[in-house]
Order: sequence, then C-alpha cells, then structure tokens
Amino acid sequence: MTDDVAIEIRDLAVTFGVDRGESNVVRNVDLDVYREETLGIVGESGSGKSMVALSLLDAVPEPGTVSGEVTYYPEDGDPISVLDLDPEELRRFRWEQVAMVFQGAMTSFNPVMSIRDHFRETLQDHGYDVPAGMERGKEILEQLYLDPDRVLDSHPHELSGGMQQRTLIALSLLLEPEVLLLDEPTAALDLLMQRSIIDLLRGIRETFDLTLVFITHDLPLLTKIADRMAVMYAFDFVEITETDQLLYHSAHPYTRALLSTTPDLTTPPDEIRTIEGNKPDPVEYISGCSYHPRCPMAEEKCHSIEPELMTVETEHEASCHYHAEVPETVPIRNNPRGVADE
Amino acid sequence: MHPRYVLKRTGQMVLTFFVTVTFTFALYQAMPGGPAEAMRAMILAESGQVGGSVNLDLLNQMVEHYANVNPDKPLHVQYYNYLHSLLIQGDMGTSIYQGEPVLDLILQSVPWTMFIGVYALALGYTVSLFLGAVMAYKERSLFDSVASIGVIFLNSVPYYIFAIILVYVLGIEYSVFPINGRYGTFVDPGFTLEYMSSVVRHATLPVVSMGILATGGALTMRGNAIRVLGDDYVRVAELRGLRRSRVAMQYVGRNSVLPLYTQFMIGIAGVLSSTVVVEEIFAYNGMGKLLYDAVLLHDYPVLMGTLLVFTTITLLAIYIADLTYGYIDPRISTGDSNE
Repeated sequence: MTDDVAIEIRDLAVTFGVDRGESNVVRNVDLDVYREETLGIVGESGSGKSMVALSLLDAVPEPGTVSGEVTYYPEDGDPISVLDLDPEELRRFRWEQVAMVFQGAMTSFNPVMSIRDHFRETLQDHGYDVPAGMERGKEILEQLYLDPDRVLDSHPHELSGGMQQRTLIALSLLLEPEVLLLDEPTAALDLLMQRSIIDLLRGIRETFDLTLVFITHDLPLLTKIADRMAVMYAFDFVEITETDQLLYHSAHPYTRALLSTTPDLTTPPDEIRTIEGNKPDPVEYISGCSYHPRCPMAEEKCHSIEPELMTVETEHEASCHYHAEVPETVPIRNNPRGVADE
Repeated sequence: MHPRYVLKRTGQMVLTFFVTVTFTFALYQAMPGGPAEAMRAMILAESGQVGGSVNLDLLNQMVEHYANVNPDKPLHVQYYNYLHSLLIQGDMGTSIYQGEPVLDLILQSVPWTMFIGVYALALGYTVSLFLGAVMAYKERSLFDSVASIGVIFLNSVPYYIFAIILVYVLGIEYSVFPINGRYGTFVDPGFTLEYMSSVVRHATLPVVSMGILATGGALTMRGNAIRVLGDDYVRVAELRGLRRSRVAMQYVGRNSVLPLYTQFMIGIAGVLSSTVVVEEIFAYNGMGKLLYDAVLLHDYPVLMGTLLVFTTITLLAIYIADLTYGYIDPRISTGDSNE
C-alpha cells in the first residue's frame, strides 16, 4: 500500500432546503482516501455516510447542494476536480474512474432487461470495445464464482440476492475503475453471504489494484476488511485512524461508546446496549462539540467550542478536546472485533 | 411462455365469445316486442300495403332469412341454427333495409373504422406518453400544472362535444377540413395521390376527436414515470454514466409504459365504441355509423352483427395483450405464478 492520495475531500458540505430551515447532512468534511487502501466509513443511520459517497460522484440527489472540493488523482494524468466537471465529463468519469455498488442490488438492475444488456450498454455508452469488454465481464463474473453465460442470459429477478450483489460488483468492475465505492453492499444479505462477499472483495481488491471505500453501520463487518476507518457522527468525521488503532486505542468517546454497544452472537437480547440520548438533527445547530449532549465527559468547553480533528498520534485523528483522557475515562466493554476473531 | 397459460387464456376467450353470442341471441328474443316479432309485423305491414295475401310459412321463412331466427321453432333449435349459420357459414343474416348480407356490409365498413380507430389510438397515445413523460420530468413546474389541467379538461368534456366544436371551427368557419364522408365526392378511389390525400383530409377531424379520448393516458403516464424516476435502477443507471437518452428511453420510458400496455389494448374497445358517435357526427361510413343507423332503423340483424364484431375485436385485443405481455415484461412469462 502506497500512501499517495487517490481522492482528497476538502470542506465538503451537503445541504438540503427543508420547510423548517436548512438541513445540513454533511458539514465541512475533510478526508483523504489513499490509493489502494480500503477505507471504512462507519456511522449510525442518517449520519451522512451515503451523502459523502454520493458527493464523490457529484451525485447528491436534487434538490441537495454540494459545496467544497473533491479532487480525484488518477494513477496517471492530471488531478480532476469532480464537482467542477461538465455533465458529459461527469458522465464519463462515473464508472470509468469511480464506480459505486449500492445497497440493495435487487433494485439496482432494470427489471425488464437481461444482465447481458446491462453489461453491453455500459460498454457502449462509455465507448469501450464491446466484444473485448464482454470477455472481460465474463472473466470477472467467473472470479466471483458465477457461471458467466447463465448469469448474462438471466433477467435480474431470476438471480438470488447474493448472485445479484456479486453481479453488480462484476458490473462495477467492468470499466476497470480505480476506486470502488460500496454503500452497505451487504445490507440485505444473510450472515453467510455477507462473509463470502467480504472474502470476494478482499480477493478482487488484490487482483484489480482497487481502492475501496466501504460504507456501513456494521462495525464488526468492517473490521474484517478495512485498513483504515473513519467514524462519522452528526454529519462530520469524529475519528479517523487505522483499524487496529481504532479498535484498541480509540480516542473519541463516541467511537468507544459505539464499540461498546456492538453485540455479538452470544449477547442476550436484554443485554444489548445503546448509546444514551437522541441522535442529532440535521436542521438544528448544536453549539460546541456535536456529541456533547450525549457525552459522559462533556465539560464547559465542549458546550461552546467546536473541536477540530486533532492529531492523537501519527495517522490517528480525533475531534475531542480531551482525547488524551478518553481511553482511561470511557472503557470499551466488548471484544471490539465482535465475532470477527472467533 | 407457459402452454397451460396460453390454453387457459384461449379457453377464457372462447368462453367469453360464446357468452356474447348467446347474449346476442337472447337479445333477439327479449327485446321489447321481440325483434323477430317486430320484423314479422313489419313484413306483414309491407305486404298489407301492397295488398297481397300472406302465407304464414313464407313469412316465417322470410324472418329466418333476415334474422337467422325462425320464431316458430323451439328455442334450443333456434339457438343451434343461429350458431350454426353464424360460425359455420359465416352468415349473420341480411339487412332488412339494405337487403344485403350483414357480413358484406360489415366487411365494407370495417377497414374505414379500423383506419380512423388505429390512427386515433396511435395519435392519442403517442401524445399522452410524451406529454406524461415531460410532465413527470418537470414535476411541479408551471408546465406540469398547466398540462395537468388541460388533460383533465379534455377528459372531463365528452369527446363528441369537441367533435362538434371541431366541425364548427375547422370545418364550417374556416373550411380547413371537410366535415363529412370518407373521401371527396368527385374523387375516384384508387392508388392516386389525390385519393389518398382526400382520405387523410376526411379522416383528420374524426381522428382528432377520438384521439382526445386517449389523452387520459397522459396522467397515468405521468404518475408511472414519477414513480420510476424514483426507482433505484434509474439512479444506478445515471451513476453508471449511461447516456441520458438511454436512461430516458430504456429505463424510465420502458418501465413506465409497461403498466399502460394493457390499458392501451383495452382502450381499443373505448375507441371503437366512440366511433359510433363520431362517425355519425362526421357522416363517416364505417362500422360505427352502420351500428348507429341500425339502431335508428330497427335493423336488428345489422345491429347484432356489428355488436358481435365489436365484441370480437375487443376480446382479441385483450387476448393479444395478455399473451404478449410476457415478452414486454420478462418478469411475467418466466414465473410460474400464472397458474
């Protein structure tokens, strides 16, 4: 793994105008995605994870507005400012440089078209050589343990959920993108299928020299594949560091609370913990640290001054005024890897 | 496609057809005074005027000749004879007033009705599909509101009112289009440009009046397209960097037209029934006018014959819609859920 940057996000904000005011679903986010790493973005539902991912493709749905900078550094060639592309450039950029696999592969295919047509039209509209591309597609499908001819001849509804998910991953790799965004790619799958998808992703990551950005609320799952993790809370990143560092030496009270609430297969239902308090509202502005209403360590300073991401160690940042004291004050109650090590 | 499904649908269609034929036969018997009776009285009156004596057997023969029904035979025998001559001999009886076989009259007028009917449907649905799609893309815009109001207006006012307005404005006030007949009086039928253009000009106003009937599809199309625009696969297609035109046609278009397909085929029945009034307004000699005149003249054999043809066309349209739906939407034919 090299440390040069593939995608650089600076001051990214996504806002929606709603009846009661302005809804800030991403608040001035900074993030670097390193080339050929697997970056996990974790956070609770509605924390803004998906919006960050969509911003990387300038695909935030109407009427949302995006501001800030997203710079993509191709392996060879000049940096591309994604948010400044004209519609045709953006169309070519999508899927050729950065592809995205969605949650719910079942609804990602056109129900009236065969899988083959999905592959073919993707090649055609991006001006790729169709016969060569189809051969490539078949190879990728094979690598994902699918029977290429059978799958290509099928219509989406004829495939099982796991097969659709793998087919969608194959489709996302068809144009040889450098970066693959995965938004809850395992959300609708059972545990065994989740595990096999993760194994497959590990495999293709090596084969295709991919940079993966994996978005999920499933922390134990993420620990199995992510090199680095970025924890999102209240529409901003609160802690970014390498996976092991995060699991054993997290320096943010929210991350530690999140790790403590992670249930595993042996946790009885009545012992499943939650984080006290309510999740933040995108319209209301919280002064100071966004986590202070729920934080057991909150002090005077946390109410008034918003903490920036601060360096805890090399490659470890956390946005907490008291990050040095966090590990002693807030214990992690679970084996942080959950079921991963068993 | 499932052979059992085809068999089942075919069986249903044949059954419906027989029910219709039986119903038609029952109408013969049950109409106020009874059509056979009425016909008999009519023939009696006519022969009375001439002053000749009436042979009762001859009278019954004449009634049977015209209506395919002999009133003196038992009901089931009459029914059998009616079916036999209709299905085996293709004999629908003879028009009382024109003295020609009903089948000939129908065959002469069917092409004209199909002509204006098909064009009205094609025009009406093309306009409504485009309009609905544009309305959906520009949801909640001024265009959307204005077009919605317009379509609701067009569908709330009966189409024949528009037909009359069209006759008055474009036919009489401005004389842009002819207002009656199938082609100009002094034009010889044949493959000539003059004849063709005359046919098209004469068909314009009826087609437009009937086409208005089909614009109701625009609102359905709008609703479908808005729903499909919100579907995941459309978003994924955009993220996949597909061309806008492809996303619009293959993704949004195709998926929003699908539910309209059956409605379109059933719409054939609606358009056919509207020809009855429209052809009368425009004095257009098609099936509709044939039926309308038959009602006025109590020409029962013609009335029954045209009703049968209308029903058959409607049945066939729905049958074809059911059988072909699987090709348009692959989710239907491959599943075994049809059982």
